[in-house]
Amino acid sequence: MRKVVLLSSLVFCFALQVLAQGSKRISGKIVDIKTKQGLGGVTVNAGKVNALSDANGNYQISVTDQKSISFSIVGYDKLSKSIGNATTINVELASVEAVLEEVVITGYTRESKSKFAGAVTTISGKTVNDVPVGSFDQAFQGRVPGMLVNSGSGQPGSSAQITIRGIKSIQGAGAQPLYVLDGVPIPAFDMQTLNPDDFESITVLKDATAAAIYGARGGTGVIVITSKRGKAGKNVVTYKTQYGITQRPSFARMNLMNTREMLAYEEREKIANTPGWVWSAKNPAIPAGMTAASKQRSLDSLSNIDIDYADIFYREGITKSHELTLSGGSDRTKFFLSGAYFDQQGIDLGSSLKRYTIRFNLDHSTDKFTAQFNSSIGYSQSKLAEGDFLGNSPRSPFQMTYRAKTYENPYNPDGSLRWGASTSMAYRQVANLLEGLQNTTRGFDQIKMVGNGLLAYKILPTLTVRNNLGVTASSNYVNRYINADSYVGSLQSFQSGLAQESNTVTSEFINTTSALYNEKFGKSELEASANFEIVRGFQRGLGFTLFNLDKRLTETGQGAGPLPTNGAATYPQNASSAKSGFGIRSYFATAKYTYDNKYSLNANIRRDGTSRIVNEENREVTSWSAGFTWNALNERFLSKQTIFSDLKLRLSFGIIPNIGSISTSSYGAGLQSITNYQGPQVPTFGTAQYAGSTLTGLVPNSPGNPNLKIERIQKSNIGIDFSVWNGRARFNLDAYDEQTLDLFVNQPLSGTTGFSSLYINAGRMSNKGLELNAKVDVVRGRDFGVTLGMNHSYNVNKIVDLGAVNEFFVGTFVIREGLPYGTHYTYNYLGADPATGAPTYEAPDGSVTKDVAKAGQFAKFGNYLPKHQGGFDFEFRYKAFSVSGLFSYQFDVVRSNNTRNWITRGTPGYHGIVRASRELIDNQWQAPGDIAKFQKSTFDRGFTSSDLEDAKFLRFRNLVVAYQLPAIKGPNGKSMINGGRLYAQGQNLAIWSPWRGLDPEDNNNISLNEYPNPSMFTLGLDINF
Amino acid sequence: MRNNKLVIGSFLMLSLFASCSKVIDVKETDFIGGDVALKTVDNIESGIIGAYSAMNVEMGILLNSVFADEVRVAEFYNAATVHEWQYASTDISLRDSYTAFPLYYRIIDRVNRVLEALPNVKATTAAQEATKNRVKGEALFLRAFSHFELYRFYSNTADGAALAVAYMETPSLTPVARMTVTPFFAKLNADLAAAKTLLPATNTDIYRASKHAVTALQARAALYTKDYANASTFATEYIAAFPLATKTNFPKIWKDTDNSEMAFKLSRTTTAGGRIGGLYRGTSANAANIGTITWKPTQRLLDAYDQVNDIRYAAYFFEEPILKASSSRSGSAILINKYAGTTYGTPTELLADAKVFRTGEMYLIRAEAKAETNDLTAAAADINALRAARINNYTNATFATKGDVIDAIMNERFKELPYEGHRFFDAKRRNLPITRLAVDAQGTALTLPAGNFRFILPIPNPEIQANPLIVQNPGYTN
Repeated sequence: MRKVVLLSSLVFCFALQVLAQGSKRISGKIVDIKTKQGLGGVTVNAGKVNALSDANGNYQISVTDQKSISFSIVGYDKLSKSIGNATTINVELASVEAVLEEVVITGYTRESKSKFAGAVTTISGKTVNDVPVGSFDQAFQGRVPGMLVNSGSGQPGSSAQITIRGIKSIQGAGAQPLYVLDGVPIPAFDMQTLNPDDFESITVLKDATAAAIYGARGGTGVIVITSKRGKAGKNVVTYKTQYGITQRPSFARMNLMNTREMLAYEEREKIANTPGWVWSAKNPAIPAGMTAASKQRSLDSLSNIDIDYADIFYREGITKSHELTLSGGSDRTKFFLSGAYFDQQGIDLGSSLKRYTIRFNLDHSTDKFTAQFNSSIGYSQSKLAEGDFLGNSPRSPFQMTYRAKTYENPYNPDGSLRWGASTSMAYRQVANLLEGLQNTTRGFDQIKMVGNGLLAYKILPTLTVRNNLGVTASSNYVNRYINADSYVGSLQSFQSGLAQESNTVTSEFINTTSALYNEKFGKSELEASANFEIVRGFQRGLGFTLFNLDKRLTETGQGAGPLPTNGAATYPQNASSAKSGFGIRSYFATAKYTYDNKYSLNANIRRDGTSRIVNEENREVTSWSAGFTWNALNERFLSKQTIFSDLKLRLSFGIIPNIGSISTSSYGAGLQSITNYQGPQVPTFGTAQYAGSTLTGLVPNSPGNPNLKIERIQKSNIGIDFSVWNGRARFNLDAYDEQTLDLFVNQPLSGTTGFSSLYINAGRMSNKGLELNAKVDVVRGRDFGVTLGMNHSYNVNKIVDLGAVNEFFVGTFVIREGLPYGTHYTYNYLGADPATGAPTYEAPDGSVTKDVAKAGQFAKFGNYLPKHQGGFDFEFRYKAFSVSGLFSYQFDVVRSNNTRNWITRGTPGYHGIVRASRELIDNQWQAPGDIAKFQKSTFDRGFTSSDLEDAKFLRFRNLVVAYQLPAIKGPNGKSMINGGRLYAQGQNLAIWSPWRGLDPEDNNNISLNEYPNPSMFTLGLDINF
Repeated sequence: MRNNKLVIGSFLMLSLFASCSKVIDVKETDFIGGDVALKTVDNIESGIIGAYSAMNVEMGILLNSVFADEVRVAEFYNAATVHEWQYASTDISLRDSYTAFPLYYRIIDRVNRVLEALPNVKATTAAQEATKNRVKGEALFLRAFSHFELYRFYSNTADGAALAVAYMETPSLTPVARMTVTPFFAKLNADLAAAKTLLPATNTDIYRASKHAVTALQARAALYTKDYANASTFATEYIAAFPLATKTNFPKIWKDTDNSEMAFKLSRTTTAGGRIGGLYRGTSANAANIGTITWKPTQRLLDAYDQVNDIRYAAYFFEEPILKASSSRSGSAILINKYAGTTYGTPTELLADAKVFRTGEMYLIRAEAKAETNDLTAAAADINALRAARINNYTNATFATKGDVIDAIMNERFKELPYEGHRFFDAKRRNLPITRLAVDAQGTALTLPAGNFRFILPIPNPEIQANPLIVQNPGYTN
């Protein structure tokens, strides 16, 4: 069929050859579409003939047999007009910035916004260009309605967790949206080797009409990024640099005791093995070898030590960046070239990111032929914070910030670290931590390449064929070394350091072949496309661990000694490797019909076949969508109204499967892992012993799921876009209903299967929400401008159906019909019993009980996913000065503050090893009659509702103060610089929240041992040559 | 010229289409799972060992003790609903201790995976071919055995039209309906017949199934389905291979120092399989501080023996001296000796192998089959032969009626096979009541009338939830 189309179009090609005619003169005026001012210096091109417009925008040009004439100038979108019999052609050019507002880039197509029914938010590349974060997705927070962006680590280059319009799946709750850069899918959570300064625009596709074109990979939304391109005209050289500092946040929120308070608390609660009690004058026991006087001396000397470990565990990091870009070109050929260096130190002592990137984008086009080549090559070197991997350990600085006793002195008199075995009466934990950090490195080097080549040929004026070939590949090298000649090295297996290295190579290849058709019939306009796409992904990796390292060397496995077997017959292999991959084959078609610029119908259908589904019967999945738009202002009956300057209604509906709902497993490759796409779908085996045989039994430990189907998300959206006040106040409103069908839920299995339960397609989940986006140009003057913007989104998640079960438990929350995903489920703690000091809880019947066994667990404490979130931004402009800022907020959110549980636990077990919160001084039960929140120290209350805290926040996310530099001319009258920009920027400047932990924002439900998000201050300079 | 390029281009695109047809068949190549896991002879043998690792007769042993009249409450009692016959399908004790459904179907799933993989496993040597045959025979035997246990828990009737349970012959996640007894036993007997031709005739490894284990199960299954001719034939076949133990050896069976009478038993260690004696009492801290006693033998059972002459009495019971002397640990001081293992406080206390088939049972199967076919002489001969082997100074008994013989057989089963998982099932099978002496009973739980619906266990609640095709047993409300 396709072949027939191609061949028949060839025939048409011949038929439409037109003979040349005589020459004629064409003139006209070129103006800016908005200001209606004449545009000088516009290149007017007709075949081989060129002309320039004068200062008022007037032009003249002679043409012979040319059929069309084009107009181009830097900063404006190129425009072509057919000549026909005209001798006067007046045109209006739209500036590129204006175009950004008017066009929606879906990745496969550029849609005119007025005809597009999808719910999308486009943010300018400027939003991420200058923000000094290693991973650009962090800069999205508070920018896009419906998109929840939460950062879980302050590690330079770490990615944020992104959720578009709510959690769609239980099994695939963490599934990230699909990222597409210039038509090439790029992996989520892996952005540190891309230079966000190269990005021109970022489009978030949310509803069915927008995302269905991406098929099963678009179920959780799509983020489409386009890179910057050269523009015809003079070559532009720009140098950009930034320098700044990164600071740790304040820990004051945690309200921790100082040494004096801690020792007094230890004495009051008589906590065994703590200096506050052992050396207390109130303690009659005299430790062996001590006297009452020496006890007092020891206590006195200890009480003079009061160290704020936040000052020792964190540093002020330096951020610097340099970038040089060169862009330009002619009408036919344009280029964009950039080279950049980014260097950021984290606030953690060991963490940093260095990135080197190069981008080269090339465009070439003739009347019928277009070629585009984009490439990005980057190399990044990260030093990862050891604390992000240690988790719950006294070696993690993120934990010890609040856990370390302030009276521990980590230094010897000579200033060296006092490391060694730690006891509760003579702590060495901080010294061991610092010694560990000094002797441990964890590196991550990545080479990343993203490139694509696009060829398009216009067979007919109405028919274009196009092929886009893209490749993304990255080499990921991770290492971890513990020096052999160190205390921490002596604690490793074989007592002489550790070297772990791992390398993985991941790549993805995509080829999309399309035929695009576009025709106007009277008032009707039809656009359609047929596409075929292949995606093939590869992963390969290896890793090994070496012990018994050479003490003379550091950060290498060279010289590692042999390993003793300790008498064992076999010794485990300390190396592993694996490979895997997947393939997707897709057919899809799009169509759009517009009548009289008033009504547009959009439709997409896509069929994906994916190797990620083992069951051949379910392997091919269909996505489809249908949308409708109504441009009301083009109606005659509204032509007289003056209130609205734009009014558009959008409706869309469709079903998109979610490939992220299918769980994967992984193969170990040392410090990294290789994805096993099919593992959870086929039976897996483990071992079991039978005493009657020397053989080891092999038993299936999961049945796989041969009947597995993909979850589908049924998306409905209704939206309205309008602007009033001559376009100065612009609003977008969207309401959506997204239903996850065939939701994977944990179901009991018939005993005949041999297994008890399995995640099967039996449930349904819904997300309903509202989104508002508003932007108002309060003042729009030549010298003075004020723009205010805000966006807000509201999402309600609900588990509608769980099949045969009513509820089951995942982590700290309950999955129950009628409740939203992520609902906390725990005991309701009601404070200390006034009579006895015992913890009291709510019983299921509402009464108060002191027995936790009789207490009920409740689901009434809220949800870790915010219901409301948004941001507001402002921009003031006065002549060359501008100030812009962004606040982001989230509310109706409750998170489990595990850190707070520890510092307020109030038991000797905890406070023998954990620095406590000051709340325990006044609010812990002491004597009968006390009304206290925290129970008597001889009782424990465990994890309860008292650890759940409101995590709403308002964050002053970003502030930029900028001065636009004027062009400077040299003594010879030649221009030295063509202007530039000098700016100061602050990131994470302040946060307001009732949360009593470090940072209310996180990417999960529990707050514990997180690398804190830092504040940043930078100075930047851009110069155009 | 340009058009030529286009033609070439379009051909290139078309060739791309063709080369991409296999892209959606990308397989995981590094994964030991699915078809790959059971690929060699060694793998399938490991697979069958995996099935043995789940093998269990202990659940049935405890059920037949607690639900019938083999045990009485001792120091720790939390089994009122089952011991006093108050259970519904949602009962917690049933759920925690007597849910045979997942237990035996798990074994069945394991052997079915082995059987499914087996045809594709290549045997290159004669030894491998022999192993392959043996594994197949073991798989078929274990499948039949497990199904038979499920039948005893949830059906236990000779009525061919009554519901048995689903007979699973392939691994499947699809819910399956129960089948009736006649086709159920057709499949079960076919599995046994096939297994018999594949398994070794000599009993080289008592911990794995042999041909004789198949014979024993054939005899037992025939008895339950009232196929008395076959019950007699197979019992005879077993008895020929495994004569009754000598009086010297009989007590050694229970100390695992002698394997007389047994074609198949399950090996137990503290970590693999666990302590079978733990069904009735806890392990002891030391010789002076014995573990908590959950169940003691009933007076009714103790009274059934000729306590002086019957060697079974000493093999099965003992008088605990500490208990006898202690005033705080009151009541009878007679405890179960059958699975006592080594002495108090030692690592292998209460540890013993789980005996699956014994010749004593085969004599009683044959006696019952003969009696039911009115060959009272042969029946009496079997009873007398067994008693003579167990009782010193025994003189042969004679029986006037078939009823007398059957009574004698049931009484002898009570004495020969206590704590081996028969008593409750026997009562159901023969439509007898469970009656307890007042001294043995808790409160009013003296009698479970013959034919009471509770003789058949309810289909477990999770199964009712998960399987829309399942039919609950009569008497239970859901």
